[in-house]
Amino acid sequence: MTEAKPKALVIDDEELLRLGVKRLLELEDYDVDVASGGVEGVEKATSGDFDVALIDLKMPDLDGVEVLRRIREKRPHTVCYIATAYASYETAVEATRLGAQGYILKPFTDDELLDQLEKGVRKRRLELESARLRQEREERMLELATERSRLKTVVNALADGVLVVNYEGKAVYYNPAALTYLGLDDLSLEEPALDKLPEELRRLISQYLDEPEKRTTAVSKQLALKPNYELTIEATCTPAPNPDGSIAGVVVALKNITELKRIEHLKNQFVSMVSHELKAPVAASIGFLNTILDPDTNLDEETQTRFMERAVSRLNSLLTMVNDLLDISRMELKTAVRELKEVNLAEILEETISLFKMDIEKKQIGVDFETEENLPTITADENEVQRLFTNLISNAVKYNRQGGTLVVRAKRAGAYAATTVRDTGVGLKPEEKKKLFSEFFRAKNEFTKGIHGTGLGMSIVKRIVDSYSGKIEFESEYGAGTTFVVSLPIRREEREE
Amino acid sequence: MALIAVIDDDPDIVETTTMVLKSKGYDVVSASNPDDGYDVIKDESPDLIILDVIMVEPDDGFFLAQRLRRDGIKTPILMYTSISKATGIQYDKNEMIPVDEFLEKPVSPDTLVEKVKALLEKGGA
Repeated sequence: MTEAKPKALVIDDEELLRLGVKRLLELEDYDVDVASGGVEGVEKATSGDFDVALIDLKMPDLDGVEVLRRIREKRPHTVCYIATAYASYETAVEATRLGAQGYILKPFTDDELLDQLEKGVRKRRLELESARLRQEREERMLELATERSRLKTVVNALADGVLVVNYEGKAVYYNPAALTYLGLDDLSLEEPALDKLPEELRRLISQYLDEPEKRTTAVSKQLALKPNYELTIEATCTPAPNPDGSIAGVVVALKNITELKRIEHLKNQFVSMVSHELKAPVAASIGFLNTILDPDTNLDEETQTRFMERAVSRLNSLLTMVNDLLDISRMELKTAVRELKEVNLAEILEETISLFKMDIEKKQIGVDFETEENLPTITADENEVQRLFTNLISNAVKYNRQGGTLVVRAKRAGAYAATTVRDTGVGLKPEEKKKLFSEFFRAKNEFTKGIHGTGLGMSIVKRIVDSYSGKIEFESEYGAGTTFVVSLPIRREEREE
Repeated sequence: MALIAVIDDDPDIVETTTMVLKSKGYDVVSASNPDDGYDVIKDESPDLIILDVIMVEPDDGFFLAQRLRRDGIKTPILMYTSISKATGIQYDKNEMIPVDEFLEKPVSPDTLVEKVKALLEKGGA
């Protein structure tokens, strides 16, 4: 440490002594200031930062003991000496009580004074150093506490649950998410935790604690904590070993995978429905062919032909379904190639209705088709729009009654072109309404027996409408008919009018 | 000759199954939904029931089988379905599905007849 010159203050009303001491100390390389009275002494001592102060006990304006008190109050690290010619036991005690380092009897020799002051300077420096170290230590403690609280804040804020169980099976750390997932109101630290945990998790943790040598890596397990996909947690247990390899505890991370499991379940259901729907026409076709081939059935030619025609028809419907599924998959993956252009809705509707001319005539359906004049165009892929209305109008024809009506209207509605397709057909039962857009939903009732379909048409309609940020609404009454309103956004330039 | 009830919502399957069974000398009654199926079984007391799983609802076949057993009807049931086990949905005869045989469609005429024979013998018809 580079030592600065020690700073000394001499407070004495005796001028000669002040100057004598000043000169002596300066020769010894002190930085010296003087005060000629108590008040000035206090003033100088408290505004500067002196290593040592020599205070005369008897001064006319302020008593040396009082000067000492005031200096110590403001500058506890300045080492003070009382100098006096009249040493009394009482004043000595009082001065020491107030924190004077020592007592210097006047008259003193140079060596006596220097020896005392030197000790004082050393003491003062040691005190300052120790104060500095103490403060440093306190700062580190504070930092540590902040770090710990920060860590706690972070762990508590995690959406994942964290639970740490020690080698005795006691909970030593956890966050609120862990309690929530495990359905625990409280878990006091150091409490045996294992018995409160779900059976499967308890077994998993126990394996680590009971046979630490066998279980050395992390293991994850999915726990259905509530039935029906309400709460599924993935618990990952990681052993925490001591330096000697023995087990200190197990860290359990709990991740909420409920939504994931729900989606997985829906996907499985969908896959199973798809496979069923695809296999049904295959089974029927194979059934026809096997029946023809079976020598026992001994079919006449007419029946054989009818069976082969049915097999072809079922296989065709299978093909349609496969194509529909591929379309849905493309829409889902957003890999459908689109050719966006200005599409004239009125033209598409007219063409689509004409596609079903034969069926319409066969069923003697009255068609009421009208579009608003100057109907704005929409920006879309023409094939998709065609597909959308083909599916809707095809249903309106297929499910219509003999001699019923088909109403198709298109008009502008705000920023949308709204197309209404109304039929006087089977209609939907209330419970069927929410299933209308699901894959493979087909209304099955006394009216729909002879009607074929894949159950994918409306699902495709909904996907196309959604993909253009449009909307589809419907009203339906069982036995009376259904009305769809499809709203597609019109071209941006035509919206402001 | 034994009477067999075929309950399936696919008219093509009903037609061909009926034809195959009749050609082997069995008598056949049929229904296309679980309610009609229940009535046919009550009215005709068949010796064997061939039952599809997915009809109006995806689990109609299971419910009909359970309903029959609850009513004390012990007629052997051959259940078949197009649900594929490959999709991970495991269906087989168990307490929830009280049937005597579980087959995946399509079922060839040979397999069908073989199973029908076996079940009828077991049922003592």
